[in-house]
Amino acid sequence: MTDPARSHDATSPRPDEDRQAFAEASESLWRITFGPALWALHFAGSYGVAAIWCAKVAAKGQDIAPLRLGFAVVTLAVLAAIGWLGWRSWRQWDYLGDRDYENAGANHEDRHQFLGHAAFLLSIVSFVGVVYTGLPVVFVQACR
Amino acid sequence: MTASAPRAPRPEGPYPPTDEMLARPVPSDLQEAQADRLRAAWRTPQGWRYWSAVNNSEVGVWYTLTAFGFMLIAGLLALAMRVQLAVPQNGVLDADRFNQFFTMHGSAMMFLFAVPMFEAFSILILPAFLGARDMPFPRLSAYGYWCFLIGGTFVMGSLLFDAAPKAGWFMYPPLATRELGIGSDIWLLGLSFIEIASIAAAVELIVGVLKCRPPGMRVNIMPLYAWYVLVVGGMILFAFPPLIAGDFLFELQRSFDWPFFDPERGGDPLLWQHLFWIFGHPEVYIVFLPSIAIAAMIVPTVARRPVVGYSWIVLSAVGTGFLSFGLWVHHMFTTGLPTISLGFFSAASEAVVIPTGIQLFAFVATLMVGRVRMSLPMLWIAGALAIFVAGGLTGVMLAIVPFNWQVHDTYFIVAHLHYTLFGGMVFPVIGGVYYFYPFIAKRLLSERLGRIAFWLIFVGFNVTFFPMHIAGLEGMPRRVFTYPAASGWGLWNMISTLGAFVIAGGFAVFVYDLLRSMGRRGDIPRNPWQAGTLEWSHDIPEEAWGARSIPYVTTRYPLWDQEGIVARMDAGRYYLPDAETGARETLVTSVIDARPLHIQTVTGPTWITHLAAIFTGGAFIFPTFHLYAPAVVCAVLAVAAIIWWLWTATARPPEIPVRDAGLDLRLPTYASGVNAPGWWGMWITMLGDATAFASLVFGFFFYWTARPDFPPAGAEHAAPFWVAAAALAFGLSWAATLVARQSNRAGSRGRAMALLAAGFVLTVAGCGAALLSVLALDPAAHVYPAILWALAVWLCAHGGVGAIMQGYCIAGLVAGKLTPDYDADLCNVTLYWHFLALTALTACAVLGIAPRLLA
Repeated sequence: MTDPARSHDATSPRPDEDRQAFAEASESLWRITFGPALWALHFAGSYGVAAIWCAKVAAKGQDIAPLRLGFAVVTLAVLAAIGWLGWRSWRQWDYLGDRDYENAGANHEDRHQFLGHAAFLLSIVSFVGVVYTGLPVVFVQACR
Repeated sequence: MTASAPRAPRPEGPYPPTDEMLARPVPSDLQEAQADRLRAAWRTPQGWRYWSAVNNSEVGVWYTLTAFGFMLIAGLLALAMRVQLAVPQNGVLDADRFNQFFTMHGSAMMFLFAVPMFEAFSILILPAFLGARDMPFPRLSAYGYWCFLIGGTFVMGSLLFDAAPKAGWFMYPPLATRELGIGSDIWLLGLSFIEIASIAAAVELIVGVLKCRPPGMRVNIMPLYAWYVLVVGGMILFAFPPLIAGDFLFELQRSFDWPFFDPERGGDPLLWQHLFWIFGHPEVYIVFLPSIAIAAMIVPTVARRPVVGYSWIVLSAVGTGFLSFGLWVHHMFTTGLPTISLGFFSAASEAVVIPTGIQLFAFVATLMVGRVRMSLPMLWIAGALAIFVAGGLTGVMLAIVPFNWQVHDTYFIVAHLHYTLFGGMVFPVIGGVYYFYPFIAKRLLSERLGRIAFWLIFVGFNVTFFPMHIAGLEGMPRRVFTYPAASGWGLWNMISTLGAFVIAGGFAVFVYDLLRSMGRRGDIPRNPWQAGTLEWSHDIPEEAWGARSIPYVTTRYPLWDQEGIVARMDAGRYYLPDAETGARETLVTSVIDARPLHIQTVTGPTWITHLAAIFTGGAFIFPTFHLYAPAVVCAVLAVAAIIWWLWTATARPPEIPVRDAGLDLRLPTYASGVNAPGWWGMWITMLGDATAFASLVFGFFFYWTARPDFPPAGAEHAAPFWVAAAALAFGLSWAATLVARQSNRAGSRGRAMALLAAGFVLTVAGCGAALLSVLALDPAAHVYPAILWALAVWLCAHGGVGAIMQGYCIAGLVAGKLTPDYDADLCNVTLYWHFLALTALTACAVLGIAPRLLA
């Protein structure tokens, strides 16, 4: 997003505010949804592929080992991606740096860390969600 | 993305304001003059003209009362059903009327009460949370309200003519497609009409949260209610369009016999179930989240401290918003889908409990560490939590496939859904009414009557619905108009019926209290609950301006933590303290950090919204009776009314390009591209539109997976030449629009007009080519030609809108409404065209390429 109004910040109450990393232009609300969006893609993909597989590839009652194997690989990849997002947002939250849990201040830094905190928590929920989605494939061995 | 025009003025002056600037007094005579000018600009029309008001405080009240009225009617239907079911073999209602009543009870509670109530309540109170003067598009709210009133009255009114829908609130085919009479058409068309109003409200609310926050209110300090509104608005955009697409297919089948859901001609009734529940399950959360958002505002006030775990509640709202889209098949566990698919949905149904539970724990934690001052609103919230948790627990049970098979379509389900909806919606909303009543009506409701109503409804609710768990486990099916005495269900039903009358008694007390207080003059403190959020800076007696001046906000609870903020707002010492031009204005700020960007003129009272709503209503209602000519006339008039409304009231080049906004800040009075609320409105609308289109495309591929013979062997395909021609024409038209925008910015008005005119011709040609490509196919013969036709019709309808927009921009260039510096319309139209180009290319790929690959 372009940010034509950035230049009119005449005074900066905190030196932190000038740091490029915290600038509004580099921040996006979308970023906190990346974790859940990965869950959604994985979920929709799993559902779609399983439905097509059972309709077009495997006969009723037939073993679906190749599907399960491919599914396991993709699930691990998605979990790794969510883990990476979680790690990045944990760094962004910087809890160990300032022990600030609330991030309720009216400054760039608190906004930046708050978005990190929210993204971090959402990655955890997404991670658990993907693990849950993975469970049926552990137990279900055939198309029925 | 579309940046502002290169020569557009920038904000000038200091921001954020320093303490010295905020301390600077305003002379009292200037204060009074400013207040008078503001009062004049925001004056509510008097007399019969009152109904032309568009201000959120008026529209919000009408909207809320109308939704509440529909709820009372739907409640009376439920009472009648309970009377019928009180004893075995009862004859109060016959089977047909019972079917109409349960169908309308469910449909009205969901479509005419629960979702509209969220929109109504948010329109009413969201601007106050944000210290904004109004919503960004007041006329859109008013249009949405009038559509809702017309559509709701039409659907409800069918009961009086014994013509109401009677195939159940989820309208499953083949029952609903084969049903004689107009009941199902009333449901499909009447409710589609209301769904469009819902999407309009969602657009309004999302843009309100993103762009109309007060300066300084960054995303990390905005009220939790705003977070919930943002999430729920987003959910509406992805949940309602699949249903609209489903309605589109369904009505094509009912009116023209295109066999989308008829298995004999290749269709599949399960497609409707998918599209309905992709809407239907998120809808439960669309209803629940905003109501729990009310709890998120009441709990900190009661606990007298900031909410514990602000980030956790944001996580909870966003997480629930996503996960709730992975639950829809748990309504379809008995339809014979592969067990592995059921497993996915069972897993997601269990996973959604995590974020849903987290917010409840956050509320409990806030109450535990706070200094609780129990109040009547909190009593309702406490009741809500108790009932919702019980409903949530049966939900966890129902997410388990084998248990679900056992109780599918029994009264256990009825008990479960009422526990979640009463606990998750009715109780928090009534709590919200008690809590916000002083803000809305400047009066307090009776504490004593409120407690009586609470205990009647709370006890009555459990007496009514708890026995239904048992009746369900004993095998009593839903939707039966009577049952034999030998079943042994009589006792439970009698208890439920008695309980239902206790609930009704509670609602009677509540309604009496509302009516009673209307006549009384209140003399209440300004902040009766000593809350910390901005809405309690409201004026008593009431002023229509929303906020006397728009504050600079630096905390989550400004009334607690920013000393003197209300006095400063009152004295006009913040932003926009004046209405120099006599126009209604509000401040538009940036999405993340809420830096002031420009002054937005908002629209005032008008009758055009009524005309637009009436004609839109005609376009939806006439087809119910198969009167297509008047429907087309109404559609044309509705489009004309909307064009007139946009032309006369939106994006006019300003007389003064940059104005004083208070505190030495000078802001532009016009914005185009990403800075303009209109651009965001278009973006969000088109996201919803793209979802509806994606649902149609999903339908195409669904037939392919569900049927071995799709596309049928030897079937005639869409004409490849015309498909390619349509793709080319739409692609060129998109390019012409895009270049026209650049040319206009560069100052070549003539070239821009020529390009748009070429675009217009290409669009019309593209629509023609799309129709020619399927013209030889018979859509009533088989689902394959039918879905190709549906895609072509969808594309042409959107092409028509795209052509109108190109024409609108040509007219704007001719009339000087669009100039190189003031090109908001052209930016928005280009944005529409990005989506249209994508739609066209996808549609042409599905029409022309996909069948050959799949066959």
